[in-house]
Amino acid sequence: MRHPDPSTSADNAAVVTVELDRAGVVIDGRTIIAPTTLTLKERRIGVIGANGSGKSTFARLLNGLVVPTTGAVRIDGLDTAREAAKIRRSVGFVFQNPDNQIVFPIIAEDMAFGLKNSGLAKVEIPTRVTAELARLGIAHLVERASHSLSGGEKQLAALAAVLVMRPKLVVFDEPTTLLDLKNRNRIRAVIDALAASALVVTHDLDLVERFDRVLVIEDGRIAADDTPRAAIAWYRERAAA
Amino acid sequence: MTAPLYSPGDSLLHRAPASAKLAGLVVLGTAVFLTADLALLLPAALAGVLLLAIVRPPRARLTRQLAGSAILIGLVALIAGLSQGWHQAAVVALRFSAIVLAALAVTLSTRAADMLEAIEALLAPLDRRGLVDSARIALAVSLVLRFVPDILGHYREIREAQAARGLDANPLALIVPLVVRTLKDADDIAAAIEARGFPPDRPGR
Repeated sequence: MRHPDPSTSADNAAVVTVELDRAGVVIDGRTIIAPTTLTLKERRIGVIGANGSGKSTFARLLNGLVVPTTGAVRIDGLDTAREAAKIRRSVGFVFQNPDNQIVFPIIAEDMAFGLKNSGLAKVEIPTRVTAELARLGIAHLVERASHSLSGGEKQLAALAAVLVMRPKLVVFDEPTTLLDLKNRNRIRAVIDALAASALVVTHDLDLVERFDRVLVIEDGRIAADDTPRAAIAWYRERAAA
Repeated sequence: MTAPLYSPGDSLLHRAPASAKLAGLVVLGTAVFLTADLALLLPAALAGVLLLAIVRPPRARLTRQLAGSAILIGLVALIAGLSQGWHQAAVVALRFSAIVLAALAVTLSTRAADMLEAIEALLAPLDRRGLVDSARIALAVSLVLRFVPDILGHYREIREAQAARGLDANPLALIVPLVVRTLKDADDIAAAIEARGFPPDRPGR
């Protein structure tokens, strides 16, 4: 098992160091994530694996939504169990279902929610919101009610609400699973263009094929950790067995 | 995700500050319980109708949202009438109508974020004394308003799924999956809220 040199990444400006130090998750006696030691520094990391393998729990470890029951997870040296609030300012999380991510009915007020929590001055919030929506090419959605948006628009709006916080790392939990091909390509283009680092949990193998590093999770363990080509080939072989 | 309670518009009530609307609602809600005089309760209920007329929500949505309340108020009034007489039934019906109509006018004309800010502002004096956490209470109230349409949407989906399988309407068969789905949604929303930095750091807390 090997992983590529992070220095080959295009831009290290927004690189975040994720360290798992014998981090494991056991819930009700069941091991969801086996104790894992790992350092992630690449700008684009893919996480693939079968349903129920522990991918989502692994992703949630990275911003303290799940805290390890053994060991520790550190983001740029900050322990997720003790400094989750601080970590969440630099680690954004995009959920699979935007309906469960969008808290407020109007897109502008939903995006403002995170900014308000971060303590940004009220007068600066509309400018930040408008600029982020414009950057994603969805400025026209600013006053729209989320229930009236298409699946792709909702996912982009949910992503905008995360990106408006200017995170250094964005964790995506199956961001394209509910989308059609056109919207999947749109989300893929947004991920490709992100200045921030990204860790993407997905079943969409095409999405991660140009990433810097891909982990395969199997029964709560990192079963493969390699270049996308090698990791995907390994995973395909396992799935076919 | 189904349509929220808020209905966009530019009416006088839409433009009024959310805190003034909430304060007005609290005053009205208190006042109608301090009197049993039909000569006062009738204008209060009519004021509720007037407020809704000012907001002018889409007719279909208004009908849908009023139907459930009308049935409930009718039932409560009937029980009051049978047990305490028809004067009391009229008092109960007018009281609840005034409150429901005014509250509906406020929710239809107030954005969730404005509601959240207004509640926070109203609770700020108690918060400063450390008696309540205004941000949490305000968010909880906003989430109640957010979840109402979602729960109704889930109800319709579950009912349709059961009807498609040839099942008759059975309260237990509806309630169990509805509660499970609502709790699952609540978990997901709680995670989303947490992921977006709530509660904010506050010095001294």
